[in-house]
Amino acid sequence: MLRVEDLHAGYGASEVLTGTTLQVKKGTLVALIGANGAGKTTTMRAISGGLRPSRGKVILDGVEVQGMDASRIARAGLAHSPEGRKVFGPLSVEDNLLLGAYTRLPRFFGYGAKAQVDLDRVYELFPRLRDRSKQASGTLSGGEQQMLAIGRALMARPKVMLLDEPSMGLAPVIVQEVFRTIRRLKEEGITLLLVEQFAKSALEVADYAYVMEHGRIAVEGTPAELGRDERVLAAYLG
Amino acid sequence: MNAAIIGQMAISGALMGLVYALIAYGFQLTYATSKSINFGQGELVMLSAFFSLTLTNLGLTHWGLGLSYALMIPGGLLFGALMGLVVERAGVRLALEQKSEGWILLTIIIGLFFFSAAENIWGRDDRPFPTPISADPIHVLGVDVTRLELSVAVGVFAIMGLIELFKRRTLLGKAFEAVAADRDAAELMGISATRTVMLSYGLSGAVAALAGILVSPITTVGPTMASALILKAFSVAVVAGLDSGFGVVLVGMFLGVLESLASYYVGSGWREAPGLILLILALALRPTGVFGKATIRKV
Repeated sequence: MLRVEDLHAGYGASEVLTGTTLQVKKGTLVALIGANGAGKTTTMRAISGGLRPSRGKVILDGVEVQGMDASRIARAGLAHSPEGRKVFGPLSVEDNLLLGAYTRLPRFFGYGAKAQVDLDRVYELFPRLRDRSKQASGTLSGGEQQMLAIGRALMARPKVMLLDEPSMGLAPVIVQEVFRTIRRLKEEGITLLLVEQFAKSALEVADYAYVMEHGRIAVEGTPAELGRDERVLAAYLG
Repeated sequence: MNAAIIGQMAISGALMGLVYALIAYGFQLTYATSKSINFGQGELVMLSAFFSLTLTNLGLTHWGLGLSYALMIPGGLLFGALMGLVVERAGVRLALEQKSEGWILLTIIIGLFFFSAAENIWGRDDRPFPTPISADPIHVLGVDVTRLELSVAVGVFAIMGLIELFKRRTLLGKAFEAVAADRDAAELMGISATRTVMLSYGLSGAVAALAGILVSPITTVGPTMASALILKAFSVAVVAGLDSGFGVVLVGMFLGVLESLASYYVGSGWREAPGLILLILALALRPTGVFGKATIRKV
């Protein structure tokens, strides 16, 4: 469903990604782990168009999307829940969710009715968002904002969802909740690429995983395989 | 001191202040989506006023004044919106893509073009703007106002209300707010930031055109008609804060009142002073504006 081939990207003169190749098959959850600064978030941004790759391909459901504006890639079926959550603080929770489905909804009127099914689904997944639907999203707690960011990405009914550091800066209890949610998304058959600091938890839910080092994939395999790899064990799972 | 005279001055000052507020609101629209403003906005006001004058005169050869004036308004607004798009395309987009501040100079230059164009097409003289709205004073609560002055207030509140309604009630409007809040995150939703910036410049142009249409029958139309207006609109935008929403209305009316009192008590030569003093005070004491939101970053 999503294929990344020999991706190069960076900021100005410094190249962060030096040939990343990975693949996410339909209906699977793939984890991307690695140390800080290895290029995980840069990979996500290069896939979703926040950063223009200098070389390589990003193929989404058979369509080459590298070099397109982020908004076009989103319309092609990619939803990216970014690092730091990036909810629209002044807008209400419900407005944030509606904007998640922006590409599928009428621009002026009647969008609420058309999005109702998806809204109900997200509210069922995150009942706390329903309680706060009229509240400005900037006033939510970090955990709630993360739920909102995931819900917003779900609203798009994406072909592939990128989830960047969903546990960042959250209390341990909330992190557990986030992982329960991720497991549930997986059960619903959503195709997911997950970037995580908590390598152990990520490998517990993933079908397949890539370990990044210095801007490229160093090791890859199923979680079981990686669990037997001594280097991976020492560096990330110790 | 005569209370009636003070009331009179305050009312006409406040109504003029609403025009400053309207132009300042136009600054806010583009600042919200792109953190840029059109420094040639005054010329856009003026050019749209001239265009609207020509439309009205054209209409007069076929119909009466009332109908010509009514038909001119949408035409004038459309022209302003188009010119706003021209400014965005020619002066702002490339600069923003390169993350440079080049739009400052470019929008000033486009303004100068507009100025020369107006001088060449319509000449340098100030011309009266015909209007069907009566300039005879009516008595309200002890002060005299004209219907013409009241039409300014109606026009200002109507367009600001419509645009705010658009932003809150339609999905496109919410997308506008999303780009204002976080451009990159909005792009991830499939919202084109470029198109949203275009939309904001179009709206800002229409707002500038309406300011020209509203004020012209009271002042006159001429190439330099907006130079004083724009300076004060800019003061209002900065004093209120470029993200203050309706804050500009209060500050605009306050400045308008202050101006007309200053010209009455100190002398008409001092009319421009309060705006400039307010601007200096605001920049020195509260750069985010009286109603502006101090930026708080969560880390």
